[in-house]
Amino acid sequence: MATSAETTTAFQYPPHYSFPPFFTLQPVATTRSSQLQSWSTFIQSYCRHHRIFSLSLIDALSTPLFHNTTLSRQLALRDAKAILTWMASPEGGHRAEFISSGSKKKADESEGGRVWIYWRRPEEWAQQLEDWVDRTGQKGVVLTLYEIVEGEASAREEFAGMDMELLRMSLGVCVKRGKAQIFSSGGEGEGVKFF
Amino acid sequence: MDRRRTPGLSSLSSTRLQTHHYTNHGAKLRTNTAASLETQLSVFQSLVHNFALTHSKDIRANPAFRAEFARMCTALNIDFLASSYHRDGKPGAASKSSGSSSSSKSGESIWASLLGGSVNDFYFNLGVTIVDVCRATRAENGGLISLTDLRGHIARGRAIGSGMDVSDADIEQAVRALRPLGGAYGITTIGHRKLVRSVPKELNTDQATVLEACQVLGYVTVSMLCVNLDWGRPRAVAVVEDLLAESLVWVDCAAGEKEYWSPAFIGGAV
Repeated sequence: MATSAETTTAFQYPPHYSFPPFFTLQPVATTRSSQLQSWSTFIQSYCRHHRIFSLSLIDALSTPLFHNTTLSRQLALRDAKAILTWMASPEGGHRAEFISSGSKKKADESEGGRVWIYWRRPEEWAQQLEDWVDRTGQKGVVLTLYEIVEGEASAREEFAGMDMELLRMSLGVCVKRGKAQIFSSGGEGEGVKFF
Repeated sequence: MDRRRTPGLSSLSSTRLQTHHYTNHGAKLRTNTAASLETQLSVFQSLVHNFALTHSKDIRANPAFRAEFARMCTALNIDFLASSYHRDGKPGAASKSSGSSSSSKSGESIWASLLGGSVNDFYFNLGVTIVDVCRATRAENGGLISLTDLRGHIARGRAIGSGMDVSDADIEQAVRALRPLGGAYGITTIGHRKLVRSVPKELNTDQATVLEACQVLGYVTVSMLCVNLDWGRPRAVAVVEDLLAESLVWVDCAAGEKEYWSPAFIGGAV
């Protein structure tokens, strides 16, 4: 998922990142809300830069995202969860969503679980896909999902290398809008047609 | 001339005539000088006019240039910011500027008519931007923002292309221009640092002392305050708790003792 291979330019950390108290969730409500907002912006831009579509909380804690080694400050699991929960809330603009995996929620609770980071929401992805298809004149053409994500035609698009699951969700939005149809020919080769 | 020594009564009348001539001549000289001064003034004014028009872009864009321009105007006793409040600040000015008929419109300053309001508006715009930034960052810094920070925010701008290059003096001027709107905005000095205050509150001496102490390392701890200021522990705790409640400091629990950081150090030198 985390295809951070092609990080050509270094990520520009926000000024808050070098501010030690940023890694302690503030007790005062107003400060806290501003802090959550800053975290949300930071996480989104970080994930966008590294093309990360979902985070595993427990693994992410030791990555530079939540761990500033120069300051030796690290976000606690509890606080990270609070931030992501806030991002998933309407207040945070639904910029995250906890993935409820096959096993029951209890398992997730213990280890933090996985989270979608919506630096683009599925609806926004859907719009991008529609625009792309429209622009490249591929309406009515059957495209495979693999082709959309890995194909040469989309190499310069923002959704290149996108998470398959997220792509499916986004295409689901297109289908709901009546802009596309998904063919599942069984197994791997799924196709989609835009109209 | 030869009448000067005229004897008898006629000498009286000749003296009167003489004074009369002198007065006449004096008056004529005065009017001449006044007229020439007026011409000079109008020429100068049109020059300033032209200058301001040709360089209005520079005046807006270049802080050093703007400062020099402002200094020139101050030397000439023209306060272009104030002249928007008192339009009689420079008598005869409005009637002079030839081209723009809008100059005689009531309630408009000479600079507004000269520059299309760009210099005035510059400070008012800046004022609005300052209010914007202060409101946006209030939750983060409790309504106290250092001039340096503020300048950074303004330079970055909120929308693309809206960034402005301003100097500290510009900001102070703009904050002063906000004064008629009420007492909320002002400039306070804590330690060696100037801050724009956007909440109508006064810091008490203890709070000011703690904030000043924050500037040394970026943070304070309760025991630091106790040792260095000779305060009792309850007093130190009370002050930092107060500051914390007002978002003027952030707490960092990751270190051994709780550290209270000044938000002015966000992105600042640690």
